[in-house]
Amino acid sequence: MKIRILRQKTPDTEPYWESFNYEGTMEISVAGVLDRLNYGDDIINDLGEKTDRIGWECSCLQGMCGACAMVINDTPALACEAFLKNLKGDEVVLRPLKKFPVVHDLIVDRSVIHETLKSTNVYIGEYNPKEKEDHEHQYLVANCLKCGLCLEICPNYTNGKSFYGAVYANDCYLVKARNRDKSRDISSSYAEHFANSCSKVLSCMDVCPMHIPTMSSMAKMNRG
Amino acid sequence: MKEILIIGNGISGMMCAIRCAELGMKVRLVAPGPSEQSQSVMAAGGINAVTERHEEGDSVKCHIEDTLKGGAYLAGRNAVEGLCSDAREIIHYLERIGTVFSVDEKDRPLLRAFGGQSYKRTHYCGSSTGKHIVSALIMEVRRFEASGLITRIMRHHFYSGLISDGRCYGALLYNEDARTLVPVYADAIVMATGGQNSLFGKTTGSSRCDGYAVGRLFMQGAALKNLEFIQFHPTTMETPQKRMLISEAVRGEGGRLFYMDGDRKVFFMEDKYGPKGNLMTRDLISREIIATGRDVFLDISFMDRKLIDSRLPEVRDICAKYRGIDISKEPIPVAPSVHYFMGGLAVHKDHSTNILGLYAVGECASIYHGANRLGGNSLLSAMYSGKVAAESISGESAGRKRADFESYIFAEQESFKKMLEADSPFAAMHIRDMLADTMREHMSIVRCEDSLSKGMEDVRYYLSVADRIHYDTSVSAYTNYSLCGILTLALAALTCADARKESRGAHYRSDYPEAGDEFRAATIITYNDGNMQVTFDRENTYED
Repeated sequence: MKIRILRQKTPDTEPYWESFNYEGTMEISVAGVLDRLNYGDDIINDLGEKTDRIGWECSCLQGMCGACAMVINDTPALACEAFLKNLKGDEVVLRPLKKFPVVHDLIVDRSVIHETLKSTNVYIGEYNPKEKEDHEHQYLVANCLKCGLCLEICPNYTNGKSFYGAVYANDCYLVKARNRDKSRDISSSYAEHFANSCSKVLSCMDVCPMHIPTMSSMAKMNRG
Repeated sequence: MKEILIIGNGISGMMCAIRCAELGMKVRLVAPGPSEQSQSVMAAGGINAVTERHEEGDSVKCHIEDTLKGGAYLAGRNAVEGLCSDAREIIHYLERIGTVFSVDEKDRPLLRAFGGQSYKRTHYCGSSTGKHIVSALIMEVRRFEASGLITRIMRHHFYSGLISDGRCYGALLYNEDARTLVPVYADAIVMATGGQNSLFGKTTGSSRCDGYAVGRLFMQGAALKNLEFIQFHPTTMETPQKRMLISEAVRGEGGRLFYMDGDRKVFFMEDKYGPKGNLMTRDLISREIIATGRDVFLDISFMDRKLIDSRLPEVRDICAKYRGIDISKEPIPVAPSVHYFMGGLAVHKDHSTNILGLYAVGECASIYHGANRLGGNSLLSAMYSGKVAAESISGESAGRKRADFESYIFAEQESFKKMLEADSPFAAMHIRDMLADTMREHMSIVRCEDSLSKGMEDVRYYLSVADRIHYDTSVSAYTNYSLCGILTLALAALTCADARKESRGAHYRSDYPEAGDEFRAATIITYNDGNMQVTFDRENTYED
C-alpha cells in the first residue's frame, strides 16, 4: 500500500509530496503505520531514497488526547482511530490540518483554539447551575479534545479571527449551563463569535471523535 | 511577587499553578503541548474520598489504613493522613469549579468500589474521570491566564535544572520552534512531569511521559525513591498500537476474572479470595494472573447494557474500536502491563526535594503510595500534591541572590548546537526500544538477582554508547538529548530492585519471596559523578 504524505520541513519552507510503501497488517491505524515507517535504521521513500523521519504528534494513542489529528484521504480524523481496513482505495493520503499553520510535516500549531477561549473568558468560575442540569449532554461536551477537526471541516471557519467554530460553541454551552451568573456575557460572546456566522452545515458533528452533540448545544444556547 | 516555574501541565501541574495564583504568585506553566494532551486525561476509574456522603461505616481513618496497607506499609503515615484528610475538600473544590461528576437523580455523586478498599469511596465521571478533571482545571487555569497570573508556555521541554550548591534557581528549557536552549529563572521550580513510561516502551500511559526530567535531575543531585515499585495493572488489552488499559471500574462494577479449563470457566480470584477476589490490590491480581499460565478474561457481559452505556462508555468504545469486542456480549482478553510508577523524586511532606527551591508533584514524585498504589488514589494525590507544593512555596521566603550560570549555560548551548549540527541517520529511538526490551525482560512482575544483573549490564552498555553517537537530526532534538537521562534512570531502577532483597507490594523477587522487616523502609538512591548509592530510609527522613 502507498502512503502519500504532504510534508514540510519548517513553517517557512515549501510543502512537498513524498510517498512510502507499507506492507503489513491492515488491522492497524494510520498512527501505527507512521510509527512503523519511522522505525528502522533508515527511513526509505517509495523511490528507494533515504529521507527524513516523518514528523507527527501523538500522546495517548487511543483517541483521548487529539494530538494526532490530520487529514486522512480528504477526511479530518485522528490517526490513532483511522484503521487501514476501513479506508478505501490502495493509497492513503495524509496531510496536515490546513486551517492551522504547519510547524513540521503533519504537526500544526493549534494554539489559536486556546487563545480565542482565553480572550473571551470562557471559564466556569463557580458552579452555580441555572436549572435542572442536562448532565449527559454536559458530560459529552466536557469530553472535547480541542483537536481542531471540527474547525478543519467547517465551511465558515477560516483562521479564528472572528468566527470560532463548534469547539467554541460547546465550551460556551458548558459555561452557561454550569454558572448562571455568566449566562449574559457568554451568550453575547457566543452570538458574536459563533451564532451570527454559523451556516448550520453541521459537518463538525460528523468528524467529532468524541461525538459531541453540537446541535443540542446550539439549541440550548439559543433558548436564552 | 514570587515567580514560579512549573514543568508539566497535567492535573498536578495545573492544580499547583492554580493554587500558586490564588496565593498571589506568578506562574509560568511549561509543557510540550496543551493540557488536553497530558497523560492525566487517560486516568479512567475515579478519585477516592470519604466525604459527608460516605457509605455507612467508612471514615477518613479507614481510607488512611487502606492506603497504608495497600502500599505494604512503605508510605509515610503523616503524608497519607494529609492526603486522605484533605480528599473531601478536594472533591468539593472539583465540584465548585464545575467538574461533571457522575451523579444520581438527586444530583448526589455516585460512588464505586475499587481494589483494596473497605468501602465504596471512589467518585467518578463515567470511565473518563481524569479527562473531566482536566477539562474543569483548564477552565480554572484560563481564569488566571486572563488575569495575568498564569502564563502557559507551550512547545518547550525541560532540558536541565539550573542548580548550584544544592539550590535550584530555574531551568534550561528546549524551545522546539527556535531549536535553542533558553534559561528561565524562578523563585521555585515544580516538576510535574508524570511517570517513567518510556523505560518500558509503549505502556498504558502517554508516550510523552518518559522519565527524562527525573533522570536528569538525579544526575544533577536530586535523590530518588522507591524506583523498584512499578505497578503492573492487571487488566490491559493488547492492540496493534499499544496495550490499552481496561479500567478497574469494570471490576468495581462487578466484572469477573476467569480462565477456561476445557469448557469450564474458572473464576480463580473468587475461588482463592472469596466474593471480593476480583477487587484485591493490583499487585496481587497481576501476580495471580501470571501464576495461572493461561489466557485470562474479564467478563462484564452480564451487566445491563444501559448500565454499561452509562457507567463504562469509554471501556465499551475502546474494546469495540481496537478489538471489535462487544463487552455486553463477550469477555475481554486481559493481561498485566506497566501502568504506574510509585517511585520518583524523593519528596518531603511539603513536596520539597533534597535540592532547595526544587519541588515535585504528581506521579513524578514519590510519597503516598508506598509499594503499591490503590486505584483512585492517583488522581487524589495529583490534586493534593499540587495544592500542598503551592502552599509550601508560598510560605518560603523569597529574594535569594541568583547564582551565576553563564558559563554552564554557554557550555550546554555549545554542546547542544553540536548535536543539532550532527549529520547521522542514527535514531535514539533504537536505543530506547532496546532499553524497553531489557526492562520488560529483567524488570518485570517476577524478578531475581541473575536477571537484574543482566539487565544492569545491558543498560550500562547502552549508556556507554549513548554519549559517543551522532544523532538523527531529522527527529526532534528532545528525542536525542533525552536518551542519557532515561538510561540513567533505568539503571537506577534496576539498582534499587537489586538492592531490595525481599518481596513487597509490586516488587516480587523469586529468590527472596518473603517480606523482610529490615526492608520495611523506602529505598533512596543518589548519584555522584557516575556512581549510584542505595540506602534504606529507616529513619523516615522523608516523612516530614
